[in-house]
Amino acid sequence: MGLQNYIRIWTDDRFWLAVKNTVIFAIISIPLTMAVAMIIALILNQKVYGKLWLLVAFVSPTFFGSVGILTTWKWIYASYPTGLANYALLKLGFLKEAISWFETPTRAWACIIITTVWWIVGFSVLLYLGALQRIPPEQYEAAKVDGAGPWKTFWNITLPWMRNVLFFDVVRQVLLVFGLFDQVYFFTGGGPAGSTRTMVYYLYLVGFTRQELGQAAAISWYIFAIVLIFALLQLILLTRTVRSAEE
Amino acid sequence: MRYIKNWKQFQRVLISIFLWIIAAIWYIPIFWMLSTSLKSTQIAITEDPPRLIPKEPTLENYKTVFSAASGISVMRGIINSIIVAVVSTILGLVIATPAAYALSRLNFKGRNAIFWSYVAILAFPGVLFLVPQYFIIHRLGLMDNFLALILPGLGSTFGVFLLRQYMLGIPRELEDAAWIDGCSRLRFLITVVIPYVKPALTTLALMSFLGSWNSFLWPLLVMNSPEKLTLPIALVRFSAGWGDPFRGIGPLMAGAFISVLPTLIIFVVFHKYLMQGISLSVGEK
Repeated sequence: MGLQNYIRIWTDDRFWLAVKNTVIFAIISIPLTMAVAMIIALILNQKVYGKLWLLVAFVSPTFFGSVGILTTWKWIYASYPTGLANYALLKLGFLKEAISWFETPTRAWACIIITTVWWIVGFSVLLYLGALQRIPPEQYEAAKVDGAGPWKTFWNITLPWMRNVLFFDVVRQVLLVFGLFDQVYFFTGGGPAGSTRTMVYYLYLVGFTRQELGQAAAISWYIFAIVLIFALLQLILLTRTVRSAEE
Repeated sequence: MRYIKNWKQFQRVLISIFLWIIAAIWYIPIFWMLSTSLKSTQIAITEDPPRLIPKEPTLENYKTVFSAASGISVMRGIINSIIVAVVSTILGLVIATPAAYALSRLNFKGRNAIFWSYVAILAFPGVLFLVPQYFIIHRLGLMDNFLALILPGLGSTFGVFLLRQYMLGIPRELEDAAWIDGCSRLRFLITVVIPYVKPALTTLALMSFLGSWNSFLWPLLVMNSPEKLTLPIALVRFSAGWGDPFRGIGPLMAGAFISVLPTLIIFVVFHKYLMQGISLSVGEK
């Protein structure tokens, strides 16, 4: 009992592998999600027809449950030549023969990341869209008068105005990443050779498959220690939100 | 001038069409889910080339899903999911509304401590509470019981936070006028506060319903009996019953589509409320 659980986890290579996997996932998937979300938000902020349908296409998946989304993507990643991903990439000439998607660590992670970005990007899109709509139009008119091109306008006006929302989103997503479970559960089960095992997935294996709740609690505390800084940042942001409403 | 206006409009149409095409490609996974659910499994796994529009559409998979297969009833899962989602949503609102009101307007000892502990919980990712929550539910003897799915969310941390944000906007004068008229706190809550925060309540109800409807890891841990599973877990068990998952891909995609359809409808009808909920939680109005 007691400290033993903490020592056991601390000296467990599989735990550290899970930490590493989760951090690498965060480093790749968060900037990617934000970049894609920014592009979509900029598009949706233009004057276009049928905006509701564009919104449904890009944003609605974020509200869908994991089972529906992930079983479908797993089916898309089917390993035979007529599996949708294989078929499309074979037709487009990117592949020479059908591949088994979850066979190598890199490929398995690529699948998890693509699916994740597709799935969760909508939430960030909504955040950014709200922020874009709060930028005063005069700012853009002034830039136009100065003869600034679209790229310059984006760097000098759009981005600075979105700083707060972007910061909020980074913090939110870091906290979200440490909950990464469903994708691993449905796609790889942590394989090949533990390369896609994330912290929560490891917690699940230890605590609920192996029934070692004490060790799982120790893992929870380690996760707590890792996310603490981001949780405190989130707390500061929430405090600011509360204060602004109280005034 | 007129020429320029038409050219601009024409440009706008072109850009829109281009974006619709991108959006349709982006949505292919959902089309693919629906399409596979309308094919017989045999055709779905063997047809070459794979067709987005089924050649011989069939409802066979939906029939399979609704009849009990291998002891797991997806129909039962749908009913269970609805029961759990509706009960947690309603109870959550009933608890969160007066709590948020008390935390925004009443002065009592320990108010700030209570409120800030709510905010602090909100700042940490939910996964940290998985083990302690499991431990408590286990100790209470509530494993494999619907209460295990309903109770943990009832504190409705996010709901209290969101509603309080909204209630701070109620004009003081309104409240003062009510006291002079001798209105009781409870009556004020029901006749003034609730109508005032109705948009926030709608947002919250939708988010809480979707949260419960989509919830996966927690019910996976605490539910076990086939007749008590919620839809997501029932689908996982259902597909496990086929061995090779793709051997039951037709019925599985039918089940998957059933699980996302309510969300899709809610999104199309209520997207304004969902978007508002998101911007309120960032503190921008």
